[in-house]
Parts: sequence; C-alpha cells; structure tokens
Amino acid sequence: MKKDDSLDINDKSLKKAAKRGLKTMRKTKAHHPVRNKSRIIKYGTSGFARNIWLSTAATIVMMITLIISFVTVVASVILTNTADMMRDKIDITIYFKPNTGEKELQELTDIISEDSNIKSVVVSTSEEEYNKFLEENAESDDIINVLDEEMRTLMVSKMQATMRIKVYNIDNLDSVKSIVDTDEMFVAYVDESMPPTYDVNQIEIATITSWARIARTGGLILAGVFLVISVLIIFSTIRMAIFSRREEIYMMKLVGADKHFIRGPFLVEAEICGVIAGVLASTVSYFGFMWLAPKLTGYGVDINVIVDILESNKLILVYLVFVGVGMIIGRVSAWLAISKYLHKST
Amino acid sequence: MILLDSVTKKYPGDAKPALEEVSLHIEPNEFVFLVGKSGAGKSTLMKMITKEEIPDSGKIIIGGIDLDYVKKRHIPSYRRRLGVVFQDFKLLPRRTVYENVAFALEIAGMSGKEIRKTVPKVLELVDLLDQQKKFPDQLSGGQQQRVSIARSIARQPKILIADEPTANLDKLTTEEIIALLKKINDFGTTILVTTHNEGIVNNLQKRVVTMKDGRIVDDQKDNGIYKLDEKPQAKVMTGRAIQTPGHALRPRKRVIQ
Repeated sequence: MKKDDSLDINDKSLKKAAKRGLKTMRKTKAHHPVRNKSRIIKYGTSGFARNIWLSTAATIVMMITLIISFVTVVASVILTNTADMMRDKIDITIYFKPNTGEKELQELTDIISEDSNIKSVVVSTSEEEYNKFLEENAESDDIINVLDEEMRTLMVSKMQATMRIKVYNIDNLDSVKSIVDTDEMFVAYVDESMPPTYDVNQIEIATITSWARIARTGGLILAGVFLVISVLIIFSTIRMAIFSRREEIYMMKLVGADKHFIRGPFLVEAEICGVIAGVLASTVSYFGFMWLAPKLTGYGVDINVIVDILESNKLILVYLVFVGVGMIIGRVSAWLAISKYLHKST
Repeated sequence: MILLDSVTKKYPGDAKPALEEVSLHIEPNEFVFLVGKSGAGKSTLMKMITKEEIPDSGKIIIGGIDLDYVKKRHIPSYRRRLGVVFQDFKLLPRRTVYENVAFALEIAGMSGKEIRKTVPKVLELVDLLDQQKKFPDQLSGGQQQRVSIARSIARQPKILIADEPTANLDKLTTEEIIALLKKINDFGTTILVTTHNEGIVNNLQKRVVTMKDGRIVDDQKDNGIYKLDEKPQAKVMTGRAIQTPGHALRPRKRVIQ
C-alpha cells in the first residue's frame, strides 16, 4: 500500500487541528427547543396518519384494555359497596316473652348498649308489633277478623316484643351472645322458644363478609393484573409497530439525528393513540354503564357511588383519568420499545 | 480531509481481520474510488468513517476531527458533518422527497425559512424539483438515489461518502449518478465512493484505491505513477486479466474488462 509520506500522524500541528475540529464539533448545537418540539409534534402527527393501520390497531388495543381496567375497577367498587350495604342490613333479632313491658325493654336496651360493639338497638313492644302486623296485612281480607277489641287484646297479649341489634363488627358476636345468654334480665325475658339465631346468621354473615373481602382485595389485585396485562399488550403492539420501522430509526441515526429527535415523533404517535383510546374508552364505558345501571339496580346492586360520579361534574375527571392513563401507557411503552433500537451501536 | 493510520479491525469470531493496518490519506476536494471484491473491507472502512464501527487499533481523523475523541453522545453531531449515500438509499419511506431532504436540515436545527429556501435548490440540483411531493416508493431506483444524494449534500458537507451508490442501478442511471457526484465534487466536496462497477472507474479517471483481504493493495493517485506490478488487483476485482498495454503511460485510466 502506498502511504502519503508527507503526512505524519504524530505531527503536533495535526493533533492540534484535530483537537480544534473536535472542539468546534462539540460546540455545534442542533438543539433548538421550540423548533425541535414543533417538528417532533408535526412528524408525530403525520406519522400517526401515515401509519394509520398500525395506529388504529394500537389505539383499539389500548381502548379495549382501558375499558377492561374500568370494568374491573367499577366491579370492585360495586361489589365492595353492595357487600357493605348487605352487611349493614344484617341485624340480630331477639324475641322476648309476650307482655314484656316498655320499662323492661328499656332496661334490656341499656344493658345491651353497654357493649362497645353495639351500633344501634331498636326495640318494638307487643303493641307496636301488633300495629306492624296490621300494616303489613292491611290489604288482606282476613284482617277483618282481628279488628274487634277482644281479638285485639288477645293478639297483643300473644305478640312478642322484639329487639333488633346492629353491631359494628359482624365477625365478632361473642360479647353480644354472652350478654344475651348470661345476663339475668335477658335470661328472664328472652323467649326460650325463639332464641336468637346467631348460627344461621353467622353463615350468612360469613358469606357476605368473604364477598366483601374478595371484592376489596380481589378487585384490587384483578385491577392490578389487568393493568399489567394491558400495559404488556399495548407495549407489544407499539413494539411491533416500532419494530416494523426499525430501519427508519437506523437511517435517522446514520444521517446524524439526535436521540430525542428520533424518539420524539414515536412518543407523540403513541400519545395520540393514548388520547384517542382514552376518549373512546371513557365514552364507551360511560354509555355502557348508564345502559346497564337500571338492570344492576334491579338486581339489588349498589351502584350509587359510580352513578354519583358519572352524573356529577366529576365526569370530566373520569375522562381526564382515561386520557391521562392512555397517554402515560402509550408514552412509556413507546419509550421502552424504541430504546432497544436507539441504543444499538450504530 | 480523510486520514486513516494503521487502522485494524477484527470482528469477534472471524479468523481474519476485516481491516488490517489500513492507512489512507485523502486530500480536500479529491474524488476517490474505493474498489475491491466483496469481503475486501470496503464497507468496514466506510463504517469506520461514519463511526458505526470502532477500530481495534489505529487512528482516524475525518475533516479535522480525531474520531478517538468523539464520544457516543457526539456521534450525531459528527455525522451531521458528513454526507452519506447508501447502496439501498436509506430514505424515510413515510416521508415525501421534500421531507426526506428537509429532515437532514431539521436535525441540524435549521430554521423553517432556511429549509424552505435550501431544499428546492438542492432538489433542482439533482433534477427532482417536480417530484418533491412524491413518496420514495413512487420513484425509480435512480430517482431514489438522487434523493439520497440530495439529502446528503443539503447541509453542504465537506466530505461525502457513498457506499456502492450505483449497485442497484442500470447503466444509464449509474452514469447519471456518477455525473452528479462529479458535479458535487466540482463544487469542492471531497468524495469517497466504493464500487464494484469497473465502467465508472474507467470512465471518470479519478484516484482508485484497491482493497483486498482487509488491506489496501493499490492506490493510483491522479498525479501518482501507475505501477505496473500492482495491476493484478483488477483481476482480483473482476476475475479477469487486466489489459496491460499502455497502462504505464496512462496511469489515471484503468481499463478493466
């Protein structure tokens, strides 16, 4: 090989010139924040339009996963609320012997109220129970038979006074049970033929309690799992979209584009997907839920919390959350997917 | 302008180095052909210049920049100083002709006004002004290569390197591309072209550097003396014997059949 003899690589002036060139190069800044940002947005937007099929696929996947996440969160809230509502309805009814007077009932109330687990105590005298019976059977033809005074006195004398107890902690009824079983007053007045049915209730209580627990923890776990799956699906979709354009990334690198300039339009594209998916998902979810709401109410499901949110001006917040989550998922997925190609040594 | 000193590069797993003790000095405004058969090391050398690859040993100084000191974060800035033309054009498929050329200026941070002024001029130079709204897949191979050249010269680089720019083109288009490169060279740009095409090497009568097995085995400078004993390189390139008569008298014209 023929080498230029006039050039010495170790020549000081050459080294100096090389250093000077390097310094000038480092000083050259292509970064112009506003100009670059507007160009990145421009290319991101046109990239979204020009890759319409991939963009649509990514948007649909994102929309579906956002809807699934919404359904999971709503289901969790509804289940929890319904379970709480049912728990709140549970009470323990104690039947007293007929002719237990108001004074005794008051004393019994005072005794049971001393227990810290007691939330409320409602007593009903024989007279009140009789009136309730009349109200409940007002439309019945048989009611005519009990309207004369003699029959009324007889009925009242046979009607049992009741005590309905609600507790804070349905899982622990031992203290209540202990009072009813051991307190002298209770032992004296409780109708032995109709003892409080703790055991039957306990099974129901346990079922509802476990439902509530499942709704709370399971719902949260499920929402988390769905969110992770969603992110993975969206990530894979965006990654595929970027994979199909890896040559483009390589070309941009070769002609001297900075990383942020290459990455930017891809992030904008993914964010546009996220925004559209967020708006679509929230709209579909809103109308879907409103359509289902009467049916759910019919089944005795408590949906008030969700309806309150959707019917108030918090609805805009729901939209913003959807759009925000969509944008974040899109941006993070695109960032991770593109980093693989950006950091390759080319 | 381009200086390589004892550059050696061996890829992991390869028995022989891709480049071995390669030294090359290209002066400003030179037009140099880098020839050699596949695997001779031409593309590796080009990759060294674009800093896609890093040498195991040796020094590379391009346009006054010592590549040893160009850190990873400065590579884009360094590449923006070069014009690079590729065999497969490497155009951005989803951008129009205009946008492809404008891209080279945008990444350099040029203003929109400057870009709107420069791009039509460059497209006019490569005779593609009327095609500016088309996408690459709507153009012929020759037109795509002209877009690639337009993109590479838009920033008016001092050095333009072209890796097999005519490999995918027919004879007529090849001549057009080479004529275009020569025109750019006449404006003062240093040009290094790798090629397999003996026709363009013979016709242009420019400096020819021949590579074989990772080494430079022949370097015929414009004003250099043609050494007859180095002529078998043409045989290496083409697989046929070189025509010897008159070579010593006409060093710049290389006749390869």
